[in-house]
Amino acid sequence: MENKCENLSLYIIDELSEHEKEQFERHLKTCIPCQNEIDSLQEAWQVLSYDIEETDVPESLKAEVMNFIFEEENSLKTNEVKDKKHSFLERFKLLLTKQFSPLSAGITAVLIMGLIGLLWSNLQLKDTIIALENQSVSPTQIVRTFNLKGQDLATSANGIAYLLQDGRDNSLVIELNNMPGTKDDEVYQVWLLKNGNRQNAGTLKPDENGNGLITYRLPKNHSFDDIGITLEPNPNNTQPQGHKVMGTT
Amino acid sequence: MKSKTDEELIELIVQNHRPALEELYDRYVKLVYSFSLKMTKGDGEKTKEIVQQVFLRLWTTKRTYSSAQGKFANWLLTITRNIAIDLIRKEQKHTGAIQLELNEWRQIPDQQTEDVPQQVSRNLLKHQIQEAKQHLSEPQRRLINLLYWEGYSLSEIAELEKKPLGTIKSRLHQTLKKLRNYFSEETGGVRHGK
Ligand SMILES: [Zn+2]
Repeated sequence: MENKCENLSLYIIDELSEHEKEQFERHLKTCIPCQNEIDSLQEAWQVLSYDIEETDVPESLKAEVMNFIFEEENSLKTNEVKDKKHSFLERFKLLLTKQFSPLSAGITAVLIMGLIGLLWSNLQLKDTIIALENQSVSPTQIVRTFNLKGQDLATSANGIAYLLQDGRDNSLVIELNNMPGTKDDEVYQVWLLKNGNRQNAGTLKPDENGNGLITYRLPKNHSFDDIGITLEPNPNNTQPQGHKVMGTT
Repeated sequence: MKSKTDEELIELIVQNHRPALEELYDRYVKLVYSFSLKMTKGDGEKTKEIVQQVFLRLWTTKRTYSSAQGKFANWLLTITRNIAIDLIRKEQKHTGAIQLELNEWRQIPDQQTEDVPQQVSRNLLKHQIQEAKQHLSEPQRRLINLLYWEGYSLSEIAELEKKPLGTIKSRLHQTLKKLRNYFSEETGGVRHGK
């Protein structure tokens, strides 16, 4: 038996660090004694869980669990918000849910209204609208709202972003106003910020009145803390090259 | 719903099908509830919190359970135990002190249970484990209690027992082996379906 074999029990009870776990898994591939032992020891560990006295479950529990799950699901994103912003966002969310929720019909109208008169090249919006229209089962909810404020070249600009949840899908809708016009290839690019990382969430050009609208379908399990907008010399950058002109407040 | 396998229900849950979750709840809540109640030493409020988290995890799970991962009940209890330990550890941090409670394994007469095969096999497993425990030494039983049910880490246990970590590690290995050997001798093995 090598030294590594000692870690077999710790592996079974899941008390190894990620690194040690990887090391042990490598070891396991080549160690016959460990391979012979692991299944039966694991079973022994798991059978321990049946050492319980089965108790009758309170009737009321099911309703409590189900309510918890289906309410929790709607506020999951909100709960991830850092404490500092919590109260602000909670308040905002409360306000919005009171006034607008559920949104399934309303949001489509808002999006279409926003579209009128826009210089628009973002195909994602169409997808989002179609997706929203097709999902009649669970109404769309605003789970988070962000205020955006301009700075630098775009001090007068402002905007608001809504994180929408529709069943399992999350989309971000950002509405911007008073944006300075763009020249030639210049575009505004939206970035989602999380722990110092930036994720590209699309580009837009405002219309002649300085208004813009962009939607972005979030990848599964993707979360972010803040939104930043830069003015880029050209579209399709994966990292910002231009100056930041707007951000969440 | 009733005729669906656990695996089929999980598949439906991934597709956001609420009745499938309710069916799984009906099938397993008793097990999860009783298990959590033991982990919390009979605290009804904490037990409720754990049960809620377990089924929330099940609902939000993006990963499909497959029978290759072993029995669904084992998988579910592993989740339950992790959630319960998180909760217990959080509270230990808050109270700031580690309490050592060497409560004995209580033997309460069986309550009336449903007449379903699953219930029978659960009772059988319970019987096996309770038998097997009789063959452990007192320190071994204590180790299992602290580690499995009270959620202490091995190094915490080493501290509580005033023994080097290495001793506790090898005690764990010996204990698991003894349990395993007992199962394979007395019952022809607990390894089913593999
Ligand atoms: Zn080995």
